[in-house]
Amino acid sequence: MTRSRLATGLVILAAVLMLVPLLWVLALSLKDNAELMTDTASVFNGRFTLENYRNLFGNGDVFRWIANSLIVSFGMTAGVLMLASLAGYGFARLEFPGRNLLFVVVLLGLAVPEQAVIIARHQMFSWLGMHNSYPALILPGLSAPFGVFLMTQYFRAIPRDIDEAALLDGASRFTIFWKLLLPLTIPAQATLGIFTFLSAWNDYWWPLISATNKDMFTLTVGIASTQMNFAQTEGLGFLMAQAVFAGAPMLIVYLFFQKYIVQAVAGAAGR
Amino acid sequence: MPSVAVEPAAAFTVPVPRGRGRQDWRSALFVAPYLLVFVAMLVVPLAMGMWLSTTKGDLFGTERWVGLANFVRLFGDAIFLKAVANTFYFVLLTVPFLTLAGLGLALVLNRQERWAAVLRTIFFASTVLSVTVVTLVWRLVFLPDGGLLGVTAEALGKTPIAFLNDERLAMPAIAVTTIWWCIGLPMVLFLAALQQVPRDLYEAAALDNASRWTTLTRITLPAIKRTFFLVIIIEVILQFQLFGQPQLMTLGGPNNSTRPIVLFIYEAGWRQWELGYAAAAAQVLFAMILIAAMVQYRLSSGKEAA
Amino acid sequence: MAGVQLAEVGKAYGAVTVIERLSLDIPAGEFMVFLGPSGCGKSTLLRMIAGLETIDGGTIRIGERRVDTLPPGERGVAMVFQHYALYPHLSVRENMAFGLRNLRVPAAEIAARIAAAAASLEIEALLERKPGQLSGGQRQRVAIARAIVKQPELFLLDEPLSNLDAALRVRTRLELAQLHRRLGTTMIFVTHDQVEAMTLADRIVVLNAGGIEQVGTPMEIYLRPRTQFVATFVGSPRINLLPVAIEEGPAGSARARLGDGTMLDTAIRFAGLPQGAMTLGLRAETVCVTAGDDAATHGTAEVVERLGERTLVHTLLSDGSRLVAEDAGVSAVRPGDRIGLTIDAAAAHLFDATGLGHHRAETA
Repeated sequence: MTRSRLATGLVILAAVLMLVPLLWVLALSLKDNAELMTDTASVFNGRFTLENYRNLFGNGDVFRWIANSLIVSFGMTAGVLMLASLAGYGFARLEFPGRNLLFVVVLLGLAVPEQAVIIARHQMFSWLGMHNSYPALILPGLSAPFGVFLMTQYFRAIPRDIDEAALLDGASRFTIFWKLLLPLTIPAQATLGIFTFLSAWNDYWWPLISATNKDMFTLTVGIASTQMNFAQTEGLGFLMAQAVFAGAPMLIVYLFFQKYIVQAVAGAAGR
Repeated sequence: MPSVAVEPAAAFTVPVPRGRGRQDWRSALFVAPYLLVFVAMLVVPLAMGMWLSTTKGDLFGTERWVGLANFVRLFGDAIFLKAVANTFYFVLLTVPFLTLAGLGLALVLNRQERWAAVLRTIFFASTVLSVTVVTLVWRLVFLPDGGLLGVTAEALGKTPIAFLNDERLAMPAIAVTTIWWCIGLPMVLFLAALQQVPRDLYEAAALDNASRWTTLTRITLPAIKRTFFLVIIIEVILQFQLFGQPQLMTLGGPNNSTRPIVLFIYEAGWRQWELGYAAAAAQVLFAMILIAAMVQYRLSSGKEAA
Repeated sequence: MAGVQLAEVGKAYGAVTVIERLSLDIPAGEFMVFLGPSGCGKSTLLRMIAGLETIDGGTIRIGERRVDTLPPGERGVAMVFQHYALYPHLSVRENMAFGLRNLRVPAAEIAARIAAAAASLEIEALLERKPGQLSGGQRQRVAIARAIVKQPELFLLDEPLSNLDAALRVRTRLELAQLHRRLGTTMIFVTHDQVEAMTLADRIVVLNAGGIEQVGTPMEIYLRPRTQFVATFVGSPRINLLPVAIEEGPAGSARARLGDGTMLDTAIRFAGLPQGAMTLGLRAETVCVTAGDDAATHGTAEVVERLGERTLVHTLLSDGSRLVAEDAGVSAVRPGDRIGLTIDAAAAHLFDATGLGHHRAETA
């Protein structure tokens, strides 16, 4: 009994340690920059201000970056869902020459890490003169085979009876896909959608090298760029306000959709 | 017995019609959009990357075929070898801890009560943050002059330590940051596995008077053995790709002590513009990850067979 | 309403033949049952008629139309699936309307047909529900209703009762029989359950290993099984099979000698029987326990199964062969008892070495 109580105590302590850095950043973001310059320990004196957030709203960059991140993340999510659903249905239900071979090739794509393709990808977009554009930020993410794999598995799990009943009801292949099977894949769409959105929102390397124009930064890259000039920052408090502003939306979304997010991430890893 | 029209109708010899073929190239239209992107964004860059790794050139100059020269150079490059060593060191610092701590958290938090749910939420929360937010937070922890640890040290009357500027401490500091960021995933994977253990096994063990320790070692742990290895491999693959944390926190320093392979690739490609050389390093990393991925495939396909 | 004609229809998966060049004629309005053990090809045959399986050769006609080259939706058939195959996210009403919309039936008529079918199957209260909110029996009715609204020329039913519990199965069986009488549409019903086949069918096709063993009315199948396979597959308890020697008996009939020496004068003509050893088939109801001195043979009761309305006595004969006999529901026989058996030899069947059955001459 005592052993389990000790373990529980340790876990609670660890949870507190998980929270401390976040609280620290939150506290710093609420402090006057000048006061922080002299001593950050002044956070304990209880004089807080919303000035950093006021400055943040006066600075258009962050909103521009958030808008970019939203466009890229939603665009990629919509694209992945569409392509993966069509391909998943095709691989799971239809017969065409070379189907099995193609599916194996796509599965092999799962093993290719970003590092192995990113240099050539960057070259290709350079040749096409497409860097610093939304298509450049979205397109590479659409090629991830995970979604196709997931949707194929899901379509395969739907009883073929449904298709057959619909065939007897005179439905076309596309009607079967669109009206009957797609609505049944909503749980998988949710999983794949959340996972894709999260990955797109947090993606760092590709937007870092593709979006070099400050106006095309995603939020991740934008926060990185302000961090790079750590020394010449407009103030620690202001920087921390940015961090809070960048992190808080994700945390709030997480608190609301925790169940689905955890499922999506665990499902993606456990493939 | 009255005869019925069953007997093979011998005279009935119509030319045999082919069955309605289901093989139809038009069906391929469903997979075509994805395959197009797949080829353009994955297959072509992969092949191009492999070709690039055998060339030398710069961003503007024409590439020249140099065979395996880039690879030979890599294995004589002290900085690359250091980067490989750093990567393994980092994996060693993080993966065992992430796995064991994830398992521990899952074992303690695998219960219905409200407080357990709250703690699970806290441990997974950092996972949804982007690498740039995470590093920003932790720089403000490690900052010797006014960082959380510095302030704490001063309050205790000690001299603050500059973790990120210390050759021996910088990598452990990055490891701590990474563990804070990544602990959620192994925990939820173990939680999912624990929930798969059939309840009647525990009921049978209770009827057999098994102690909690015996139940843990004889029932719970063997039941999630496969997940255990799966978590290790997933984490090895993930942590092998360490990039953002050192790129943002230390720029690979001090004295190359925190430069992993991916940062090496990034700098070779986008700082020195030696694309061939960077591509060669990427192929080496790819090979390493492929080996790990193959082990994972074995494990996860074995799971379906079981 | 249309009949179905299969001519030389065959199907193989690679080297495995599933259906072997089979011909069958089903007149319009008939209730036809495909009966056979699992793997005999009965479901495949049904799905070939539906168009869900391709055929390798032969022709299929429904009514006057040749349909084997048509897609399933254009064959004018409706099917009730074993697991019902209701569209899970559509309401019962939408499930029934789906096929009609694809056929571009006017909305008013769709509504009228649904109302009529729902009334006849008593599912009006369920129309707005989703399949997941229905019990197994309710889903079954919806599946049937969905088939009815299409007003097909032909109903195909693939083991539709197998997922129901025993009581519901009997009730639904009766309702199906009534439905057929009311609609008069041709129905093909696949089952492995001989009771369903016997009770529902106008005629039964017994299938085995991808081929037809026999086609006939239920009583023809039962009383004059064309093969030993049919005899053993139909009837409960299983028909008794005993090796016998045959000689010519009185009036040109065949006389069978059992292993224990018992002589039985059958009603089967001796002429035309092949020479050599044969197998005698005796239904349990033709072998009765007797206390009198009319016993044809004697044996020892091994197991006594009391079914209520009758009792089955598994009997060991003196030569070691076994025989299931019947006794009254209230029977005094106990295991180990020595009992006498009467045998209605006139009802006996003989099967030759190829499995072909020989029965008593047709009586007017």
